[in-house]
Amino acid sequence: MPAGFWGGWVLTLTVLSVVGLAWFVFSLYFGGGGNQGGGEDEGPVWDGDLREGAHPAPMWWFWMTLAALVFSAIYLMLYPGLGSYAGALRWTEGGRLAASQAAWNTEFAEARAAIAAAPLDELQADPKLMAAAGGLFGRHCAACHGADAGGQANLFPNLTDAEWQWGGDAAAIERTIREGRVAVMVGWGAVLGQDGVAAVTDYVRELPNGVPAEHPGKTRYEQFCVACHGADGAGQPLLGAPSLANDISLYGDGEALVESIRDGRGGEMPAFGERLDDSQIRLLVAWLTRSESS
Amino acid sequence: MNAVELHKKLESNAGLLIFGILFVSAIGGLVQVLPSVFQDSLVTPTAHTEPYGALELVGRDIYIREGCGNCHSQQVRPLLAEVRRYGPYSRAGESAYDRPFLWGSKRTGPDLHRIGGKYTDAWHRLHLVSPRAVVPKSIMPGYPWLADAPADAGDIARKMRILRRLGHPYTDAEIAAAPAALQGKTELDAVVAYMQVLGRPPPPDEGNQAP
Repeated sequence: MPAGFWGGWVLTLTVLSVVGLAWFVFSLYFGGGGNQGGGEDEGPVWDGDLREGAHPAPMWWFWMTLAALVFSAIYLMLYPGLGSYAGALRWTEGGRLAASQAAWNTEFAEARAAIAAAPLDELQADPKLMAAAGGLFGRHCAACHGADAGGQANLFPNLTDAEWQWGGDAAAIERTIREGRVAVMVGWGAVLGQDGVAAVTDYVRELPNGVPAEHPGKTRYEQFCVACHGADGAGQPLLGAPSLANDISLYGDGEALVESIRDGRGGEMPAFGERLDDSQIRLLVAWLTRSESS
Repeated sequence: MNAVELHKKLESNAGLLIFGILFVSAIGGLVQVLPSVFQDSLVTPTAHTEPYGALELVGRDIYIREGCGNCHSQQVRPLLAEVRRYGPYSRAGESAYDRPFLWGSKRTGPDLHRIGGKYTDAWHRLHLVSPRAVVPKSIMPGYPWLADAPADAGDIARKMRILRRLGHPYTDAEIAAAPAALQGKTELDAVVAYMQVLGRPPPPDEGNQAP
């Protein structure tokens, strides 16, 4: 098909239908063909004696049709409808979105820029902003971390406790939200063997009470685990290695801990830098680091 | 001839009447539907749109089979509220490899067109099997059987060959590798893979980022 064919096609069909309807209506009322009404004796006779008298169509119907025709003519002049003709108003869906976005920016851009640059304690002191931040958390974070930020499913970390796998200061939290995180712990089952896994698991369970002086798992822990989790089990936020020196167990204690050591883990947090703007991220950081939180 | 005579002629000639009815009811389709079948902006994939891989294709079919589209739409409309909630609005070309497209208009659940990358695979697994395990107030039904059913590799090569005939640029190598790519995968894997490519990557152009 040559370029512009379909534009011409739509234009022709649209104009023809509007003109055709106009002709039909005008001819019906003013064409002198019988709309004046000829009573029962005119028109075809069906089945021997059935007649369809030709009563005149009411004038209100004419005026309504005329109004619709005028409306469609004006509409087709102003808005895109006649093939490739863009309409006098140059209206587009994208243009409407851009306009509403511009209006939104005029109203809120300044306030949002102020939020994005504000000190955290200032944001935390404003109950309205904190309520808004809680709403943001509900919409974007709660599906994984839970409505109360308390973590879920032994998979998504509790954000209200003292443990921050990737660091709990504002900068680290902001980076986590913005860029996401991928933690990798390889499985040690093949290296340690069943007994080794059991011994190291037991050793890790002892760590919250301080580093045991002697323990069957100690050598292997110090050989394989210290690089990330540290000799005292304090963890390493730069690597996303959680602390083992407290009672907090992301994936759960018990059999889950054995699984972690044997099969490894791959915790993942998606990046929200494209989904949230600077002010939203700032509010979330403020909300997560406020005193009632952790 | 005037309208009354035309009317009489139509009324007393069944063949002409049938043709007239068909013609008048076809006008809307001729104007609105027919050109869109050929319109470049609607059938040309956008620069960032890729055809679905084998696993994602199977996931898409399961999505259709389980009726996900009855509650979830896949089109972010160009309205400020939608763009702010879901992300960049959907472009027609992004559905070029959707046969049939799954735009939908019924939103009992949220729109899913920009869901790709929002949640992790692990979350999708939990959520599809038991939605209330992660979203307590969710009214979505669980789909636990997906986790046990193997992804159907039986007709995947044929499916991809047919889609290639319709214009999806699958290579012979991709089609040959498809059954192996489904080996050992469950229907749950397939649906999750499909979820993660939905609306990804978002269109790079101006003015559609969530402000």
